[in-house]
Amino acid sequence: MKKFTFGWSVLLAACLIMIICLPVWGQTIKIGVIGPMNFVQGKGHWNGAVMAAEEINAQGGVNVGKQKMKIELVKADSNEFINVTDAANAMERLMTQDKVDFVVGGFRTEAVLAMQDIAMDYKKIFIGCGASDIELCSRVAKDYNRYKYFFRGTPFHNGYLVRTSFAHLATGGAAIKKELNVPVRVAIVAEKAAWAEPMVAAAQAVIPKMGMELAGIWRPSAVATDVTSELSAIQKSGANLIFTIFSSSVGITFARQAGELKVPALQVGINVEAQKDGFWEATKGMGNYVFTMETYIRGVEVNKLTKPFVETYFKRFKETPTYTADTYIAIKHYLVPSIEATGTLDADKIVAHLENRVFEVPSGTDKFEKDAQGQPTHDLTWGPGYQTSLGGQWQDGKIVGVWPNKWKATPTSPEVTFNGMVPIKLPPWMKK
Amino acid sequence: MDLAILYVKKFYKIIRGEVLVLPSRISVGLFFLVLIGLPLITRDPYIIRIIILTSIFAILAASWDLLSGFTGQMNFGHALFFGVGAYASALLNVHAHIPPWGSVPLGALAAVMAGLIVGIPCLRLKHTYLALTTLAFPIILLGIIFALPDWTGGELGISGLTRFTSSLLGNYYLHIITMLVLCTIMWKITDSNTGLIFHAIREDELAVKTAGINTTRYKLLAFCLSGFFAGIAGGLYAHYMRIAGPSTLEVSMSFTVVIWAIFGGAATIYGPVAAVFILFPLLEFVRFWPEYRTLIFAFIVLFTLLYMPEGLIPWVRDKIEKECPRCKIRNVSTRKTCRICTAGLD
Amino acid sequence: MNIIISGLIMGSMLALLGIGFSLIFGVARIVNIAHTAFYMLAAYFIYQLSIKLGLNPILGMLIAVTTVTLLGLLVYKFLIDPIREHEGAVLIATIALAMVFQEGVLLSFTGDYLTVDFLIDGFFTIGGVKVFYQQLLTFGMVLLAMAVLWFLLMKTKLGLAIRSMAEDREIANLMGMNESRLAMITLGISVALAGFTGAVLAPLTVLNPYMWMEPLIMMMAVVVLGGLGSIKGSVVAAFILGFAEAAVVFLIPQGAFLKGSVALTIMILVLLMRPEGLFGIVFEEER
Repeated sequence: MKKFTFGWSVLLAACLIMIICLPVWGQTIKIGVIGPMNFVQGKGHWNGAVMAAEEINAQGGVNVGKQKMKIELVKADSNEFINVTDAANAMERLMTQDKVDFVVGGFRTEAVLAMQDIAMDYKKIFIGCGASDIELCSRVAKDYNRYKYFFRGTPFHNGYLVRTSFAHLATGGAAIKKELNVPVRVAIVAEKAAWAEPMVAAAQAVIPKMGMELAGIWRPSAVATDVTSELSAIQKSGANLIFTIFSSSVGITFARQAGELKVPALQVGINVEAQKDGFWEATKGMGNYVFTMETYIRGVEVNKLTKPFVETYFKRFKETPTYTADTYIAIKHYLVPSIEATGTLDADKIVAHLENRVFEVPSGTDKFEKDAQGQPTHDLTWGPGYQTSLGGQWQDGKIVGVWPNKWKATPTSPEVTFNGMVPIKLPPWMKK
Repeated sequence: MDLAILYVKKFYKIIRGEVLVLPSRISVGLFFLVLIGLPLITRDPYIIRIIILTSIFAILAASWDLLSGFTGQMNFGHALFFGVGAYASALLNVHAHIPPWGSVPLGALAAVMAGLIVGIPCLRLKHTYLALTTLAFPIILLGIIFALPDWTGGELGISGLTRFTSSLLGNYYLHIITMLVLCTIMWKITDSNTGLIFHAIREDELAVKTAGINTTRYKLLAFCLSGFFAGIAGGLYAHYMRIAGPSTLEVSMSFTVVIWAIFGGAATIYGPVAAVFILFPLLEFVRFWPEYRTLIFAFIVLFTLLYMPEGLIPWVRDKIEKECPRCKIRNVSTRKTCRICTAGLD
Repeated sequence: MNIIISGLIMGSMLALLGIGFSLIFGVARIVNIAHTAFYMLAAYFIYQLSIKLGLNPILGMLIAVTTVTLLGLLVYKFLIDPIREHEGAVLIATIALAMVFQEGVLLSFTGDYLTVDFLIDGFFTIGGVKVFYQQLLTFGMVLLAMAVLWFLLMKTKLGLAIRSMAEDREIANLMGMNESRLAMITLGISVALAGFTGAVLAPLTVLNPYMWMEPLIMMMAVVVLGGLGSIKGSVVAAFILGFAEAAVVFLIPQGAFLKGSVALTIMILVLLMRPEGLFGIVFEEER
């Protein structure tokens, strides 16, 4: 027994020495990837970053001034769903132990706010790839000198999420009107979470203006495992369109039970679980016809960058990228071009360069916003020609793109249609 | 001048006669010295951060021990005091712009109120009923917090708090000294007559009542004191993290406190403090193996308990020290006779 | 009507979990935090057996319940029994155990949400409410389990032993009962009940490694409300809380997320009036 322990400790020591010596071989740009690594979101963060680093390093690295530098990723498990203290510690560790130059990632807003403060203490660029709350970017405008190192990577803030959702709602409503010729009644079903609050409020105000009736609002818990009672009530209310706002497991429960009970209504909105490839299996096929906002759908092309990214990612990781995999964009399209243009790793110079750029990324075109007073917020611009995201519907085992399909943001603006769109389908049990 | 020399001599005598004779007292002394002297060795912000958080949680674990370890009023909802302290000082700091010097004590007072509110109904409950009922309070508060997002920020919590000071060392010494002082106070309380009554209530409440002591009043006092110290810990945490969020009220927080305290040895104050200083950095240390962190943590707790069910620190103490059978004074276990009464130690 | 049906289903789940928890507390004074973790393990075993290995779901359920029960007994023998005398240590040992199970599940099944097939598809409508056959089946199985348990406790010698041990440990001990063996058997029954609940509930829920936390709190509320160690109390309390939750969902749909808080508040209010729960045994001062 003793011998084994000794052997193992020698091995361990050897490994440690190797790990410590590795970075000394060449000068590298260190990028920290922080996220809940045991969960899908964190895996997305890591996979996207790995893909970006591999692509860049395969081309020889990043030109910094006259030097060629490779990218080195540092993985940090924030464990943020379970323990926010842990997340902040992980960030501190990235900053002071691993001494990274940039950080990408983050998901749970409470944790990202704490991590943001730490990154700003050390004046390191932090690109948030997961939390949608507007507070993250209003901080940039409020105290620019402190928070200017934060950029929004993905998704755009919840005010814009709701705008895209309304466009989706209109699409769904139009389909119902056209095929069934009945007035559209909308039931709002939103999980009880802070990010959903402004969306519910906005939906309440806007739905009547869109020529639809409001049938009621339901707020199940984000981890509810039984929503049959809500579903019965929804059916009783006569709703034929359900506006869903789900980011958690209730998305599976709701879709599965609604499909199982054949509730005669179309689900439209945000259902993060439905964005994953495993949704069909998780709902046992009952999630058919669920319509959700989506960032990437195989076969849909936003621009020329989309297809190579989605297909390479699919080949490499055997799944369609979810939005947290936008760490790819954060590294490849945010950081690297700005580093090469300024020829330095100096955060202030990169911020000054990055915040004024307008550039194409696989999910659209990124441009950073300024608030009403002209202060930069480092938030993403929404709208046709910039970021709009997609609408996907589950049709018989796979998710297909159904929006934007001849979409007009305002009555006067030009129609937008991405390549690879198919018409929306209503559940057959809606037609009596 | 002579007076000064006299005091130095007296001090030296106390150190020699009372501290250096017992390994446990030496280690407490060393603990103080190492913590205070640490910045001379390293100023790594990461290590400093870990120690600051450790000391905040040490206050919390000790405050649990003050209530549950001593009076035996099992509190499964200790996160309530922590969370109330954090949220109250965050609200005061962000909305009323009260600097941390004011908001943390006020937050602690709010936690005392919470202690009263929980304590009064819980006085009628005993043992496991009490434990399981207290578990419910932080969850109810969590529901209220989610119901009032305009006030409490819902699940985002309240962010943008100011720190005590922006300097690394300032923060370090502030938290370390607060921790050392508060824990010493708590230890002193348990060593006083009040502490004796707390202890007696745990052992046999009926007997204490028979002795004409108003146990109700003492139990409430324990709830309030514990709430006060936990509230300070909550306030410090909120200001250090610059955010007070719902995670401060989660069930896992309540459980973690119980784990720390019992792991270190309940009803000792120094046990829980030592446990936090072992377990919290340990959790950071196993980051090199991120997937197995919680698993390793759970296994260490499980197997330590299997061999030391009284807690780690009492076990260690019993190994290195012996109690004199005649005068009940503690001695190093290497001694053959008692250092006071010279009775033989077996 | 809605309230009645949801309340019945919710309540019967809680009742099964509560009875198991209450039993082991009554006999051995063990507060088993890991109780719901066994429930989670059973659900995951079924997932593994019926989805991954393609076994017949009913066979899968049997195997899962048996495995979990055996695991429970082993854990009791080697980890809990040696430290039985130390209340606090047992308590955190069970917490640590639950964490071990959680991490084990997380490592082997990842944190993704998983689901299990229904045994019978489809639904029927009663009083304007749609009810899954699966829910009906689950409800029936729960009633069956309760009936078996009632028979076991009330009509057999073992049941008599368990009840008397729960009533007064010292006297039971003095009467020559083997406390340790009885505790072992009770723990087996208790864990089997948790496993069984996991098995019948798995198709109706979403599996994730943290699913043990939520029912844990409601289960404890049930047990405390009903009175520790009282089986009748657990059943009554389970239905009270089940109906309370359902009522919140229906009467204030916007506050559906508050259902847990409301149920717990009810519990505290009742306890204020009856500190030993609805049907609790007033323990003599145990010294």
